[in-house]
Amino acid sequence: MSGGFNEIHPEPTTFISKYIISFDHKVIAKQFLWMGIAFLGLGGLMAILIRWTLAYQGTPFPILGALLFPDTGGVVPPDTYAMLFTMHGTIMIFYAITPILIGAFGNFCIPLMIGARDMAFPMLNMLSFWFAFLSGAVLLTSFFLPLGAASGGWTSYPTLSTTLGSPGAGQTLWCVAIFLFGVSSTMGAVNYVTTVITLRAPGMGYFDMPLTVWGLWLTAILNAIFVPVLGAGVILLTLDRVFGTTFFLAGASATSGSGDPVLFQHVFWIFGHPEVYILILPAWGIVSDLLSFFSRKPAFGAKATALAMTSVTVLSTVVYGHHMFTTQMSPLLTQAFMTMTMTISIPSAIFFANWLGTIWKGSIRFDSPMLFSLGVVFVFGLGGLTGLHLGTVTTDLYLHDTYFVVGHFHYTMAASVLLGGFAGIYFWFPKMFGRMMNEFWGKVHFWGSMLGLNGIFFGMLMVGYGGMHRRTYNPFVYEYLQKLIPINTFITLSALFMGAFQIVFVINFLYSLIKGPKASNNPWEVGTLEWTIPSPPVHHNYDEIPIVRCGPHELGNPNLKTGRDFQYQTEELVEG
Amino acid sequence: MGLLAASVYGNWWQRSMPPTDISSNGQLIDGLWNYTTALCIFYFILVCLGLFGFSYLYSRKRHKTPYYTYGNKKQHIIVTAIIGAAVFLTIDLNITRIASNDLLQQFWKYPDPKTEKVLRVEVMAQQWMWSFRYAGADGKFATADDVVTNNDLRVPVNTKVLFHLTSKDVIHSFWVPNVRVKVDTIPGRVTRVWWDANVPGVYDIVCAEMCGANHYRMKAQLTVYTEKDFQKWVGSSQEIANITNDPDDVNQAWGWKWEI
Repeated sequence: MSGGFNEIHPEPTTFISKYIISFDHKVIAKQFLWMGIAFLGLGGLMAILIRWTLAYQGTPFPILGALLFPDTGGVVPPDTYAMLFTMHGTIMIFYAITPILIGAFGNFCIPLMIGARDMAFPMLNMLSFWFAFLSGAVLLTSFFLPLGAASGGWTSYPTLSTTLGSPGAGQTLWCVAIFLFGVSSTMGAVNYVTTVITLRAPGMGYFDMPLTVWGLWLTAILNAIFVPVLGAGVILLTLDRVFGTTFFLAGASATSGSGDPVLFQHVFWIFGHPEVYILILPAWGIVSDLLSFFSRKPAFGAKATALAMTSVTVLSTVVYGHHMFTTQMSPLLTQAFMTMTMTISIPSAIFFANWLGTIWKGSIRFDSPMLFSLGVVFVFGLGGLTGLHLGTVTTDLYLHDTYFVVGHFHYTMAASVLLGGFAGIYFWFPKMFGRMMNEFWGKVHFWGSMLGLNGIFFGMLMVGYGGMHRRTYNPFVYEYLQKLIPINTFITLSALFMGAFQIVFVINFLYSLIKGPKASNNPWEVGTLEWTIPSPPVHHNYDEIPIVRCGPHELGNPNLKTGRDFQYQTEELVEG
Repeated sequence: MGLLAASVYGNWWQRSMPPTDISSNGQLIDGLWNYTTALCIFYFILVCLGLFGFSYLYSRKRHKTPYYTYGNKKQHIIVTAIIGAAVFLTIDLNITRIASNDLLQQFWKYPDPKTEKVLRVEVMAQQWMWSFRYAGADGKFATADDVVTNNDLRVPVNTKVLFHLTSKDVIHSFWVPNVRVKVDTIPGRVTRVWWDANVPGVYDIVCAEMCGANHYRMKAQLTVYTEKDFQKWVGSSQEIANITNDPDDVNQAWGWKWEI
C-alpha cells in the first residue's frame, strides 16, 4: 500500500541507547515482555495469598507470611486482603496482560508482520514504555505508604474510593498510576493504528494482514478511543480526593455533595467493557493465525473472522451497562443493554465456527504454540458461554457480585488471554531471541496450566452459583456458605498446582534464552513476512521492503512444486 | 477410584446448589438459569466435539495431506450461517424474551401499597450495618413512632415486602440469597426492590458490594414469621419504640418520607 514513509533510524551504539532508551520496536517489545512477566509473577503471588486466605482461614501463610505480616503472625489481615485483591486485579490487567499482549506482541509483531522497518513513531514508542514503567513504579511505591496501597477493588467505585472510604494516599497514587498508564496506552495505540494504516508493505491489503495484526489493530483502536475516558474518570476521582470537588459524592447522611457515585460507574465501564475486548482481541488474532499455521491449511473464513472481530469491537462499545444492572438504571437502558450484550454471541459463534473449520481436515502438528491455541478455544468457550447468564438481567440479579462473575471473567480475561499470550511467546520466541524453547517442558507447562486453571475457575463458577459473594475476607461467617469450604480448598490447591507449573515456564524461558538451540529463520515453516528474515532480525528488519503477493495463510496448497507445503507472502500465489 | 470420584463429584454438585428458594418468583431466575446452562452445555459439547474430534482425526499422523480450502465455498458459508442463526434464535432471542417478560411481569412490577397488602420497609446501609425502618402505628415514615431495627429484618410470610433503600456512606448491595434478587444501595439515591417470602424461618442478609475492610462482616438476619407471630412482634416492638424512641438521637433520625 503506501509504504512511503519508512525511514531507518541509525543503529544505536551505546548500551543506553541500545537497551534502555531504545527506539527499536524489537527492544521495546522485549522491555514490555520483561515488565509484564515480572508483574505477572507479582500478581500471581497475590492470587495465591488471596486463595490461601479463603481456604485456610486463620492459618499463617507458609514461609513468606511471617515476613509480610509480622503483626498477625503470618495471617493475612482483612484490610490487607482488600489491598491484595485490588492490586491483584490492577496489576494483572494493566501491568501484566497489557504489557505482554499489547506492549510486547504489538510492538514486535506489527512492524515485522506488515513488512515495516519500525513503528511509525519510534520516539512515541519509547515514551510509551517509559510511561508504563513510571506508572508501575508509582503503583509499587503505594505499597510502602502508611495506610498501604489502594483497597477499594480494581473498579475503585466511589464513594468507597473517595477519602470517605479510603483515607490513605494509596488510592490517590492508584489514580496517578492509572492515568500515567493511560497516557502510555494511548501513545502506543495511536502508534499502532498509524503504523498499520501507513506502513504496510506494498501489495498488502487489509485482508492480506495476518489475523494477529487485525486483533492488535482493533485493540489499538479501542485503546485510543476508550483509555482516555478512564483517564478523565481517574482525574475527576483525584480532584474529589485531593481538591475537595464532589463529582462522585452525593448528599447523604455521612457525605455531602451534588455529584453522583453512579456517574463514575458509567465512566468506568464505558472504558471497562471495551477493555476486556482490548485484552482478548490480540489473543483471538494470535489463535486464529496459529490454528491455521499448525493445521497446515489456510485459515477457514479468514475474512469472516476479521469482520466478526471487527463487529465484536463495535458492539463492545455499546454493552457496558450490563455491569450495572443492580444499580437500577432506567428499565429502557437495562433492556437495551441486555439485548445488545446478547448480540455479541453471533460474531462469537462465527469465529468459533471458523476456528473449528480451520483445524477440520488439517494435518495438525501439536507443537506447544498449537496446544496453547487449542486451549484458548476450550477455555474461551467456557468463558464466553457463562457470560450469557450474566448478560441476562434476571439471572444477573442473583449472580452479580458472586464468584460466578469472578469465574466467568477469569475464564475470558485470565485463562484465555494467558494461554493466548503463552502461545505467542512459544511461537515468536525464536524470532525474538534467535533460540528455540524446549518443546517437552513447553508441553508440561501447557498441561499443568490447563488442569490447574480449569480447577480454579470452574470451581469459582460452582461456588458462585452456590451463593458465595466476591471480595469477602471470610465468606464462612455466613452459615449457608459453609458447605462450600471443600470446593474452596480445592480451588486453592488448584491455584498452587498451576502456580508451580509457571516455574517450569520461567526456567524454560530463561534457560532457552541462554542455552536454547539456535533457531533457523523459519522454524515453524510458515509464510508470513517475519519468517523471511533472520532470527533475530537485524536492526532495521528488512534490507529491502518486501512486496506482498499473497495472503498470510498459504499452507497446504496441492499445486506447490517447491518441496515446501507453504508459500511466503512475497511469492506469487501458485494456482492449479 | 471412579466410584470415589463420582461420590465426591456428586457431593460437590449438591454443595454448589444455591440456597433454598423461599420467594414466589425466584423460580423464574432458577428456571432461566437452568435453561441457559442447558444451552451452554449443548454448545460447549459441540465445541468440544470439534476440538477433540478434529484434533484426533486430523493429527499429522492420521491425516497427512491437509484439505486446501479458504472456507469460502457455498456449503461452508451455509454451515457457518446456520450456526450463527441457531445461536441467535436459541440464545439471544429466547433468553432476552424470557428475561424481559419476567422483569415486566414480576421483578419490575412493584406492588402498590394503595391497592394491595404490602409491607413497606425503609433500609439504610452503612459501614458495616443494616438498619430497617417500619412505618409504625401511624403508617407514616420519619415520624416519632417508627419501629427501627439494626441488622434484624422481620417480615410476615406470604406478604409482599417493598423496600426503599439508600446508603449513608459508600455503595452497598442488599441481598437475601434465598430470594435471589439483589439491589445496590447508593448514597444520594433511593433504589427499590420487592419480594415475598413463602417459608417461615431464619435466613442470612448479605452485603454483596465491596464496602471496605469489614465488608465480609456486613451481615444481617431475616426472620420470616407466620402472620400471627409477626403481629405479636410488631405489637411488642411498637411498645418498646414508643418508650425508647428519642427524637434527638441523630442515629435514629435517618428516615425519610415515603414517596411514589
